Amino acid sequence: MTDVPPLLNVRNLKVHFFTQAGVAPAVDGIDFRVNPRETLGLVGESGSGKTMASLAVLRLVPPPARIVSGSIEFQNRDLLTLDEAALRDLRGKHVAMIFQNPAYSLNPIFTIGDQLTEILRWHEPVSRTAARDRAADLLRLVGIADPLQRLRQFPHELSGGMKQRICIARALLCNPALILADEPTTNLDVTIQAQILDLLAELRDRLRMAMLLVSHDMGVVARMAHRITVVYAGRTCETGDARTIFHTPQHPYTRALLESTPRIDHDYEHATRPTLRTIGGRIPNLATPPTGCRFHPRCAEATEECAQLRPVPFEVAPGHSVSCLKRGSPGVAA
Amino acid sequence: MARPPGQFRQGWHRLCRNRSGLLGLSLVAFVVLVALIGPEFAPYTPNDQSAMLSFTAKGAPTWAHLFGTDRNGYDVLTRVIYGAPTALAVGLGAMLVASVIGILVGGIAGYLGGTADELLMRFTEFFLVIPVFIMILAVVRLFSIVVVGTPLERLPFLNLATIIVLLGLFGWPPIARLARAEFLRLKNMDFVEAARCIGAQPRDILFRHILPNALPSLVVVIALGIGGAILSESMISFLGFGDPKAISWGQLLYFNYEVLRVSPWAVLAPGGAIFITVLGFNLLADGLSDAFNPRLKQ
Amino acid sequence: MVGILRYLIRRLLFSMLLVLGVSAIIFFLLNAIGNPVDVLMADNPGITDQALAAVKAYYHLDAPVWQRYLIWLGHVAQLDFGTSISTNLPVGGMLLTFGAETLKLQIPAILLALLMAIAFAAVAAVRQYSRTDFGVMSAALFGHSLPGFLLGVLLILIFAYWLGIFPSYGAYSTRNPLMGSYVIDGAWHMVLPLTMLTVFNTATLTLLLRANLVDVLRQDFIMAARASGLPERRVVFHHALRNAIIPVLTYLGILFGLMLATAPVTESVFTWPGAGALYLSAIQALDYPLIMGETMVVTVMLVGFTLLTDLAYVLIDPRIRLD
Repeated sequence: MTDVPPLLNVRNLKVHFFTQAGVAPAVDGIDFRVNPRETLGLVGESGSGKTMASLAVLRLVPPPARIVSGSIEFQNRDLLTLDEAALRDLRGKHVAMIFQNPAYSLNPIFTIGDQLTEILRWHEPVSRTAARDRAADLLRLVGIADPLQRLRQFPHELSGGMKQRICIARALLCNPALILADEPTTNLDVTIQAQILDLLAELRDRLRMAMLLVSHDMGVVARMAHRITVVYAGRTCETGDARTIFHTPQHPYTRALLESTPRIDHDYEHATRPTLRTIGGRIPNLATPPTGCRFHPRCAEATEECAQLRPVPFEVAPGHSVSCLKRGSPGVAA
Repeated sequence: MARPPGQFRQGWHRLCRNRSGLLGLSLVAFVVLVALIGPEFAPYTPNDQSAMLSFTAKGAPTWAHLFGTDRNGYDVLTRVIYGAPTALAVGLGAMLVASVIGILVGGIAGYLGGTADELLMRFTEFFLVIPVFIMILAVVRLFSIVVVGTPLERLPFLNLATIIVLLGLFGWPPIARLARAEFLRLKNMDFVEAARCIGAQPRDILFRHILPNALPSLVVVIALGIGGAILSESMISFLGFGDPKAISWGQLLYFNYEVLRVSPWAVLAPGGAIFITVLGFNLLADGLSDAFNPRLKQ
Repeated sequence: MVGILRYLIRRLLFSMLLVLGVSAIIFFLLNAIGNPVDVLMADNPGITDQALAAVKAYYHLDAPVWQRYLIWLGHVAQLDFGTSISTNLPVGGMLLTFGAETLKLQIPAILLALLMAIAFAAVAAVRQYSRTDFGVMSAALFGHSLPGFLLGVLLILIFAYWLGIFPSYGAYSTRNPLMGSYVIDGAWHMVLPLTMLTVFNTATLTLLLRANLVDVLRQDFIMAARASGLPERRVVFHHALRNAIIPVLTYLGILFGLMLATAPVTESVFTWPGAGALYLSAIQALDYPLIMGETMVVTVMLVGFTLLTDLAYVLIDPRIRLD
């Protein structure tokens, strides 16, 4: 346990989908924390609940999903009980978000300048010209040349990479302490991905920001995260610092994930080991999830009690915790 | 393959689960039923004016006359029943004409593209802008004058037929637009390519391959059009331009509007009939639209 | 800018072609039926040969049809629509008077409908799937499917005959204007017909707008706007609505055209002295100049309105490329 209080502390968060077909627990008891000036990688497959968890921080969970229980604390404030005004003050100013698809996260009928200055002027009492200047400064900061020209343009006139830079700039407008980045490079060209990641890393270091980086890509996380939390089917599997997770993963799912990630320094054609493995089976249907440990149907080490008991996080080493009955976690009746 | 095997059955299943679509279907089915067998069960003949003679014309609904009697002593219920086949004839007839023209124009435009497309679409736009209703009124009136003294005059229901044909002649642009969009979308699909590879003639491709796949969307517009045509005819007749020899709901409104105050049921009954028929087709079209193109409902 | 100008000119030219085409069709159609002379002779059996000759000369009845059409077009270009056969008044003047009565109903009908549709659609879209949403949408579907003139008849039946609140016909009282003022009297007469027109328009626009709003509200940029701390009202009305309303604006032109085209029915129901009623009597009387004049004006208005809404679309949505 670190001594510094975490910037963001999420405990036992549950977000459920309420549909006509039934209730689907998208997030079913996730814990993670982000320390100041640190990047936490929230890793999992699609459908693991990681995006919902990040949306929940800003209480942006879209209906028919709802935050059911748990606690989210930011700078020691309980975010789940904030009133509307405090929430509006929090969003964009103290905690900002970067979305997955830059093509769709900018309003197509307004200019970039209009959209950026609007946010700025909403949070701070600045004049139109001052706001415009600050927006231009930020565009320069994210590596856009000729920012004043860009401010006058519409989103559809810009490339994907440029749009994502603008979205990053939008997140930085009011110097937030925490950035929530939901798969910021997934929808970009591969060649641009590296640039954007480098930009993000440089900015977060320079501006001393904490970041919650949601991704399914182990490569991205390896590059950017200080600590990692692995989630599967709405539950936490393993948490630890990046080096430990990559070198000595404990949870069977984490191991499987790492083994199924192609690595450039491995020769898969000729060597017998290491081989590129896949994880057999499919992610569970959220509406009818497996009992006990969610991963047990696909786990090579699963035993009978794995289907009956739900593992609780267990600290195997300082700062490294695992939720697996086979690694020492106590189990509770599922 | 060419025919969409499961598409219609899937659509049918989805329609059955859509409440408003089902309601629309039942209303339409009801009207069709009335049109087909209603005249058999009507209490009187439509031209029975006995009420006039017994001074019970313009009478309120009684057991003898369930919807009352109208200005001329006719039984309102009977006339409303006899109005159903007329309405359906109008709707189906007009849409038949409109569909043939619309699918031909739109399909060819979408399939051929290029200048043919440009020309046909300008042609369509022209028809879209014409003040249709006003034109129909003028043409109906003028036509009825022209045929005076000609052998055409003696054709039964000539006026009604004219209205039906005119409604079709002016109602095809929406169908053409959709047909064009569909043909445009479908002509580049793999199955068309495959058909061409095995040597199918363009005529074959158009009618046996592309058209059946375009039908689901077209059916929606056609259903809406049927309701619209029935509504238009009722408005034309309401203004007095209808066929005096045909019994249509619009005609009933025209005859009895003067006595609205005294015998409101004579106006409300045919009005209600128009309403549920148009509503039925609108809801059916809505349901069909959802059935064939389900939007994601969470 | 240049693109927009070129687009405008192209549409303008095409529109003029449309108007010419429609007028030509009607003109030739009418002339196929008969001519003013026959009508005059039928109406006035005792008309003198001299008068007939004057009429013949005025209408150039000796010239072939196409020539007569061009002459008529020439007059129209100078805004001379001729004289009505049935009333002997200048057609232009009649159109203005009666047209004003029609527009008096239709313009407020569409503006009111737009405002109300925005309110209803916003409430329904924001509370999607709630009971409010269901209620609003059912009402809208009902209002859209109920034929306008039936609603008008019902309104008259209930509010004019049974409850006796509003007048059942006409635009003004012939004697004793309400509260001594013709303005108030006129407004009072407007209530029922205006309601009839507004209900249908509001229902249709609400259906359209809510569907669009729901789609827009689901988009990422709306979530991004909320995530930036903007208040919900601004997100819905500034960010979402502007996007959602673009296709609806085009529909305004169609609605207006529909109202204009069905004005004869509306004005029949309420015995309203507007251009629609004028048209009906013109057709009945075979008043050629009036028929031609009115068709021309209505077509120009329809085409013009379509052009305006298309232009608005192009101006508001920056994504539209004009090639």
